[in-house]
Amino acid sequence: MINMYGDILGNVKDNIYILGIESTSHTFGIGVVEYNAREESLKIIANEYDRYVPMKGGIHPREAALHHTRTAPQVLRKALERAGIKIADVNAVAVALGPGLGPCLRVGASLARFLASYYKLKLIPVNHAVAHIEIGKYLFNFKDPLIIYVSGGNTLIAIQKKKKYRILGETLDIPLGNLFDTFTREIGLSPPYVVNGKHQIDICAEWGKEFIPLPYTVKGSDLSFSGLLTAALIQAKKYKNNKEKLGNICLSLRETAFNMLVEVAERSLVLTGKKEVLLVGGVASNKYLREKLIAMTRVHGARYAGTPPEYAGDNGAMIALTGFLSYVHNIHIEPEKAFIRQRWRLDEVELPWLPN
Amino acid sequence: MATQLVNVLDKGAESVIIQGELLGKKIIVKYRVKKPYRHPKFDEIFRKTRTKTEAKILSELYMNKVNVPAPLIVDLKNSIIIMEHIEGHKLSDLIEYMNIEELKTIAYQLGLQTGIMHSLNIYHGDLTLANILVNKSNKKIYIIDFGLAGYSRDIEEYAIDIHLLKRSILALAPDKLDVFMEGFIKGYSESYHGNVHEVLQRVEEIRLRGRYVEERLKKKMLRDKYIE
Repeated sequence: MINMYGDILGNVKDNIYILGIESTSHTFGIGVVEYNAREESLKIIANEYDRYVPMKGGIHPREAALHHTRTAPQVLRKALERAGIKIADVNAVAVALGPGLGPCLRVGASLARFLASYYKLKLIPVNHAVAHIEIGKYLFNFKDPLIIYVSGGNTLIAIQKKKKYRILGETLDIPLGNLFDTFTREIGLSPPYVVNGKHQIDICAEWGKEFIPLPYTVKGSDLSFSGLLTAALIQAKKYKNNKEKLGNICLSLRETAFNMLVEVAERSLVLTGKKEVLLVGGVASNKYLREKLIAMTRVHGARYAGTPPEYAGDNGAMIALTGFLSYVHNIHIEPEKAFIRQRWRLDEVELPWLPN
Repeated sequence: MATQLVNVLDKGAESVIIQGELLGKKIIVKYRVKKPYRHPKFDEIFRKTRTKTEAKILSELYMNKVNVPAPLIVDLKNSIIIMEHIEGHKLSDLIEYMNIEELKTIAYQLGLQTGIMHSLNIYHGDLTLANILVNKSNKKIYIIDFGLAGYSRDIEEYAIDIHLLKRSILALAPDKLDVFMEGFIKGYSESYHGNVHEVLQRVEEIRLRGRYVEERLKKKMLRDKYIE
């Protein structure tokens, strides 16, 4: 992977350090990557984060932003300590400017603007969705994968073509992570949404045995989950106190949603003929989705990989890594122009490191 | 039955396509396979209903002179359709090597065919470049794979067909989108019985429904201003 920077970097003698700041949603994270000039290798040397967990309901943007403001100095200090560097050693600071929740984004952006102007560092804007993909490609050394990006804010299938990530299919309403979060919240299981690395939907599904048909909406390569959610909620209201019946609904909801996703992924895989399939985003750590995708890719002889939990959820390392790619391609902006972008689609970003 | 199976021609997303011969004519056997990732109960419903839909819609379109393979034998129990063999290549494989003139003719043809199909209140449901066959010798195009198709009078479904087509061009040959759509809309306008403008407007609306589309935010803000 690293050879592709050798040409651009030329005869760089010193190591390069990039700090990455992530604050698009519930996570405030800071990561550091190190480019070793002598070995010509790129390494993640710090990945610290702190997650906001709501007491009740879903993410409250203001509360989340407050959490980020409170934890930011501590996370930054921890990240620099872990990396074993001082802020003066950093070459550039990368920040996720979108897409995400406005109040949360502003915390990361403010910190980045401050660090960049006070310490005279370059400021690199990073698209959060691009970062999720780049870290997956980096970890598994994938060159040209079919990308399945599933999280609380996104559900899409993409490929790289002509310097951009192109979206083949996406959700027309709510994302997959949101579907599970909303359902478990409405039936009174969440928050917390994740217990010991397991999502509530998986815990609930363990109580069930039987599969019941629920609405299945696939339009070409696009998905729609809102009808599925409503139908599952109506069923769940009927069996409020029946653990097994509720388990059946959770099981069927998960099964239906995953089947929809795997079906469109399969169709896209056949359409594009890719040899690698990469699962990224928060839901990538789900074991059942992984199993289904492994079964599907085996049929088509494609390599499968999913980002491990450490890097699947939102984190600063992925921002730093994407920041590094931008840095070597000389992408940076003036701090006063580092505006946040709550809406910033993956397929809008032109990326010089992608093939034509 | 004088069926002679020759070879596996293609492995689609949900089926295996086998080339064969029936009474001296070239045929295609389309077999919807079981999926290892799908719940068995689900799998059965899927394969059956999709085979049924495809057979029904293929025959209706064929009778109305839309360029589709003629269905010959349907075996619902085993999810098999035997149909006429079409000489041609997938448009997804050809599009990169086509010049502007060729592309315009193909797109115009496709627009015509899609217009006729929509006028019959039929939508395709997965109208991507991989589901369009082009015969290079007589320049005819064929639409295939109707597993997700259906009947509807709602222009939403027709608009989704065009939206999916646009997106698959964007993914495979982004610089050819404008030329292609120009030809397509010309053909579509000639054959579609309803209001073409309305359908095209809905296509734009569907695009705006995607996640994090900035124009949608702007549109909403404009509306808010208006209300004030």
